[in-house]
Order: sequence, then C-alpha cells, then structure tokens
Amino acid sequence: MADDAISLLEHVDIMQLNCLDEVSEHTLSGIVAQKKINTTSSYLLSDADEQLLLTIPFHQTVRVRSIIIRSSGGDIDQAPKRVKLLVNRPAIGFEDADGEEPEVAQILDLTEDDVKNGRPIPLRFVRFQGVNSLHIFVVSNQGGADETRIDAVDVLGMTQETTKDLKGLKQQEE
Amino acid sequence: MPLEATMMIIDNSEFMRNGDYQPTRFDAQSDAVTTVVQTKIDSNPENTVGIMTMAGKGPEVLVTHTKDIGQILQAIHTTSSKIGGTIDIPTAIAIAQLALKHRSNKNLRQRIIVFVASPLDGPAADEKGMVKLAKKLKKNNVAIDVVCYGDGIEEPFDEGKTVLKSFVESANSGDNSHIVTAAPGNLLLSDVLISSPILAGDRSASIPDDLVPGGAGDGAGASSSANNNFEFGVDPSLDPELAMALRMSMQEAAAREAAEAGPAGSSSTAAAPADAMESEEDAELKRALALSQQDQDVDMDAGAAPPSTTAPTTVAAPAAPADAMEEDEEDEDAAIARAIAMSMEQDNADAGAGKSK
Repeated sequence: MADDAISLLEHVDIMQLNCLDEVSEHTLSGIVAQKKINTTSSYLLSDADEQLLLTIPFHQTVRVRSIIIRSSGGDIDQAPKRVKLLVNRPAIGFEDADGEEPEVAQILDLTEDDVKNGRPIPLRFVRFQGVNSLHIFVVSNQGGADETRIDAVDVLGMTQETTKDLKGLKQQEE
Repeated sequence: MPLEATMMIIDNSEFMRNGDYQPTRFDAQSDAVTTVVQTKIDSNPENTVGIMTMAGKGPEVLVTHTKDIGQILQAIHTTSSKIGGTIDIPTAIAIAQLALKHRSNKNLRQRIIVFVASPLDGPAADEKGMVKLAKKLKKNNVAIDVVCYGDGIEEPFDEGKTVLKSFVESANSGDNSHIVTAAPGNLLLSDVLISSPILAGDRSASIPDDLVPGGAGDGAGASSSANNNFEFGVDPSLDPELAMALRMSMQEAAAREAAEAGPAGSSSTAAAPADAMESEEDAELKRALALSQQDQDVDMDAGAAPPSTTAPTTVAAPAAPADAMEEDEEDEDAAIARAIAMSMEQDNADAGAGKSK
C-alpha cells in the first residue's frame, strides 16, 4: 500500500509557496522550487527566532502519507524538533498554529536520526485526506539554537483520483 | 520591482491641526499618502494599498487592499473632518498586520507605513515593548517604514537612538524597513518621501540600469551622465523619469552627432562635454553663441522655442555640420561647442537668444 506513495512536490503551487520567519537569502522556494527533493547546497533558515511556518499549497487535492524533513548541512542543534502539521488553513499565522491536537492535524517530535538522514515520517493518514495546502509549523529545534535550518522537505502521498491533472492536457491536432 | 501589499497608518490626532507643515500637517500628510499610493500602484500592477487611522476613538481601517486611488482619496477626505484624540501605535500596527494577513494574493510581501506626527506616550514610548512588537512583525515577514515629522520627531536619548529608530531596526530584515524624519522647512513632505529609501525601490523599478547614475552603463555614458545631472539642474533622485528622459535625449543627440561628424570627430564628441564643462565654459559659451548667430533662422527658432530642454538639441544640430565642413582644423572645437549648445538648459538658450538680438 505504501509503495504507491509518490513525491507530491511536483504538484506544489510554487507561486503561492510561502514561509513565515524565513531569512530573505535562504527561502523555502529555494529548496522546493525544483519540484523534487532538494540536493543542492541551498537551505531554509529562520530569521527572528527558531520558529518557522511553511505553507505548501498544491495544484490539486492530495492525500499525504508521510513527510521528510532533512537538516543535515548545519549544526544538529539547528535541526527542527517539535513540528506541528496543519491542513487547509490558507491565511495561517503563528498565533493560529499554536493549538494542540486535534486543532492541528498532527504533532511530531523528530529525532536527530530522522532529520539527519531525512527518514520519511509516517503520518496519521486519515487526517491528511483532501489536502489542498499543508502547513508545517516548526516549534522548536534540537539544541535550542537561535536559528532553525532545513535542507530539504518532501511530501509523500498520492493525488486524489477524483481530480484530474489538467496540466497534462494539450491542444489536439486536427 | 517589489511585489507588495502595503497598509498605511495615518495620524489623525489633534496634533495634525498644527500649521508648521504647509498648509497643515494633515494636508501635507494627505499629499504624501497620495504620492506613496500612486508610486506603489505604478511600480507593479498587482500591488495593493490600504489605509487606516490610528487616533480618533481608536484605530480604524478605512480601506483594505485596493488598487483604486479614488477610494484612498475618499478615505482621506472623510478623515479630514474627524481629526481628534491621540495615537495608539501598537494597536494600530496589530490591526494593520491582521488586515495584511488576509490579503487575497499571498505572493504579495507585506508592508506597513506609519506616519507619526504626535509625541509618543503610553505603550508606544516603551522601547522594550516596541522592540518586541518589531520582532513579531519581522517573524511574520512584515516590513515596516516609519515617517516621523512634527511632534513625531523624538529627542534621541543615548547614542542617537530613539524608540522608533530601534523599533525599525529590530524589524529590519534584508534592509526592507526604513525610518524617515522630515523637519518642517521648505521641502514638502511628499518630496522628502520621494527621495527617501521608502520609495526608492518602487521608483527606480521602471528605469533601465544604464540610465541610472552610477549604474551598469558604459564608461563614457556614466561619466557624461554624472555631469548632465548637475547641468540639467534636476536632482535625478527627485524625478528619475525626467532625468531618464533628459539622459536618453542627450545620448540620442550624441549618437547623431557622432554619425554626422564622421570618424574624425566621433572620438572627441563622447569625451567633450565632460572636459569642456569644467575648464572653458565661458569661452565655449561665446563660441556657441557665435555659431547660432551665423544662421538667422536658427536664432529665431531658439527664441520662439517652447520651454523644453530638448529644444536646444534640435536647434543646434543643423547649424553645426556646415561649420565643421568649412573649417577642418576647428573640427574639434566645433564639436565641443555643439555639445555645449546641445546641453544648455532652456533658460540659457533663452538668454543666448536675447543677447544675439
């Protein structure tokens, strides 16, 4: 069953991609815009404090099975630890993301091993049906550093069978 | 070209009745607000602007994200009859942030511009609280600009720091937030804003690089344009579009001159204006006058020319080549004279025409 999960990054709406508290030199679009898991040297870094709020909107409705958050480039203290996931909250701000389950879809505590090796973290599948936008709120990092660094993000899952990918449609030759 | 949603917070407290800025502080502010709105909307068709007041009974949002300057003008007009109370900066900023958060296009970066002409008191005068608020804004990717004038100009307490200055510095991320102080004087508040970093990014957006002074233009172009700024009597930062037009017309004329003068004169024309300006300005001026006197038709044209800086350029050009043909040895001098005549300001052209009569 888990085998049919694919990377959903190619369905991300890059234009509406948004991240609060990112530094202008190291943005979320820098690690997601290639539409595949980031392998370049670019990374995402927090600015004012250690928190980050990533908003990842999709072109079509998807179901999310697991996510990958990798932070291997910098100090391990800068890697995210407590992460809250929210679904379909387009106008989200930090003050909205502060709830506990079930207001937030899931709260994860990442281990050093998870973030170092970019292991896929399985989610509670039932809560991630019909996702139009996924919000990842990084609450704290491993070592209490002032800045949080993320090298790569990937979202694994499947597209809804009901929605068609209109992107592939081309004008028919007569 | 910044893609931005801007929220402007205007001061409508009792202090706005003061007449130290012409005609009153509030009207000066209205003028400045209109300028900002127009600049923001012109710089990118997707930009939106909103406006709110921070005094009166309490902070009040008048217009949220719009591209219609009419709505802004109407809001200002309505507010002009509702001046009263004292300002509440922290609450106003919190409300502005909320308004920005619910913008429909999430691509737009968020910006708040605060106009302060009242003395700070209460929570706004507490530096710690304001810095905390600034950190919150920075965290939410909100840029903030502060315009201080009138009683909003604070006495620096230590090392030249003021509450609003530290507030803006704490919110600054990648040089996106600025503070501008406008003392009462001859300059209009809107003029101060235009040349300030608050609008610099929006105003220079439509000007190509090689026409910006100190930009990535070629060597000759850059050096001559540096002189042109001075000589046109226009501060390019005040009106970059006029400066661009002047420079473009200058460059076109120079190119035409070079083509007409042929290979012999072409090398000297490019360098001529810069040198001539500094050394023998008067002598060249006389020679230019003499040139224009040779042809009566040209002289009449110069006298009747409408007040436009491009007029001397078109007038001087036809007279010059004939002269250059006749006296080969004076080719270079003629080229210099032509360049001078070309770049003379309009009043110079008028004065010259007056003398020759």
